[in-house]
Amino acid sequence: MDFHWSESQDELYRRALELARRHFAGPSRVWADHAFDRAHWDICAEFGLMGLCVPEAHGGLGLDALTTARVVEAFGRGCEDTGLVFSAAAHLFAAVMPIVEYGDDPLKAALLPGLARGAAIGANAITEGEAGSDAFALRTEARRDGDFYVLDGAKSYVSNGPVADEFVVYATMNRKHGYLGITAFVVARDTPGLRLGAPLAKMGLKSSPACSLYLENCRVPVGRRLGREGQGGAVFQASMQWERSCLFAGYVGMMERQLEQAVEYARTRRQGGKPIGKHQAVAHRLADMKLRLEAARLLLYRACWLRDRGEPAVAAVSLAKLAVSEAARQSSLDAIQLHGGVGFAADYNVEHMLRDSVPATLFSGTSEIQRDLVARELGL
Amino acid sequence: MSNSPATHDIEQALKQYVAREILDGKDIGLDADTPLLEWGVINSLEIARLLGFVREQFGVVVPLESVTAEHFKDLRALTGLVASLKG
Repeated sequence: MDFHWSESQDELYRRALELARRHFAGPSRVWADHAFDRAHWDICAEFGLMGLCVPEAHGGLGLDALTTARVVEAFGRGCEDTGLVFSAAAHLFAAVMPIVEYGDDPLKAALLPGLARGAAIGANAITEGEAGSDAFALRTEARRDGDFYVLDGAKSYVSNGPVADEFVVYATMNRKHGYLGITAFVVARDTPGLRLGAPLAKMGLKSSPACSLYLENCRVPVGRRLGREGQGGAVFQASMQWERSCLFAGYVGMMERQLEQAVEYARTRRQGGKPIGKHQAVAHRLADMKLRLEAARLLLYRACWLRDRGEPAVAAVSLAKLAVSEAARQSSLDAIQLHGGVGFAADYNVEHMLRDSVPATLFSGTSEIQRDLVARELGL
Repeated sequence: MSNSPATHDIEQALKQYVAREILDGKDIGLDADTPLLEWGVINSLEIARLLGFVREQFGVVVPLESVTAEHFKDLRALTGLVASLKG
């Protein structure tokens, strides 16, 4: 066992952290609540964030999952705009990677260079009003018509939707076939019959826009199918393995920044004649935040390592996702408590981390779904 | 599909697995033609476990390209798949 990073991994991490801090951090502004900013996206894209694990032949950096997670972690640590990191990761892991892994060669050649360098933005569209945790109960339908599929249905929550150029859409070709009746497609934004709803108001991740998606008699060329007919469930599950591991590295980075911020505050803020960090109640809270961060981080690295080795990783990935998201939410509450009124005020870059963390226990499969997956792997 | 003794044994083993592990003994009149996907008996969580059972019980790995509705729609189809993979 060896916990060292290679020189090239360290160099990537350092460069990513420096870039994120230079552009997206500091007291000059409150970073959390602004709208999506394409200029910010482009800065990250120029680094290569939008194609970290896309093969170099398709315009990406060709990194493995562990190194990808480490770079996303650097952005999460350095960038105080968690919504930006989330949008980039949702693009890469839930829209671009399904094309990498399941698209045919012409589709990959046509779409991946633009997506991998961030010139085009991807979105994942599976969630429906009646299909959330029970994602494969979706009702959007696809039927074959010559060299096209015709899609009809509605998706209720599409991250990146308002700004996306390509949508990975999941539809059923036969509801009687349940999970094995679902097929995945890449639908271009300008396809006739594709319509977007108004941007959704949200609690957190404000700079990551989301909206509904409506498909009416939407004709998608056969070449835009991902995998085989009926393989959409597997396509989606593969994308969730990417998200649940590598996207959540952004929250590991956020927790590291949060802990650094809280420790600095505890060392300098004086109450009762001494720094508040000298009060055991405060010090123990910080120790618990550190424990949560390091435990979640190790679970995440191990899940990525298993995936890179091609070993079974369902339980490891779900444990990592569960640990990171629950830790982020709890530590964000602790950070507010520790900062007192400053933590509650919106001008100090503390409270938004709670609003950005609450959704982490919901998307990519809720905490309850992760526990279900772990329980199944235990043989229950 | 021939109804050889070996095929019969495969079907019975699969039926017992589904009745015991997935249906928890619930009587839904499970037979070779019960629509497992349409009725939601086999969902995304169960399919991985079922593939594990097939691997352990029969010593065959179902290739990903064979994980299709055609092969998992009922016990008759699944039995045929396992029998063909056992060769």
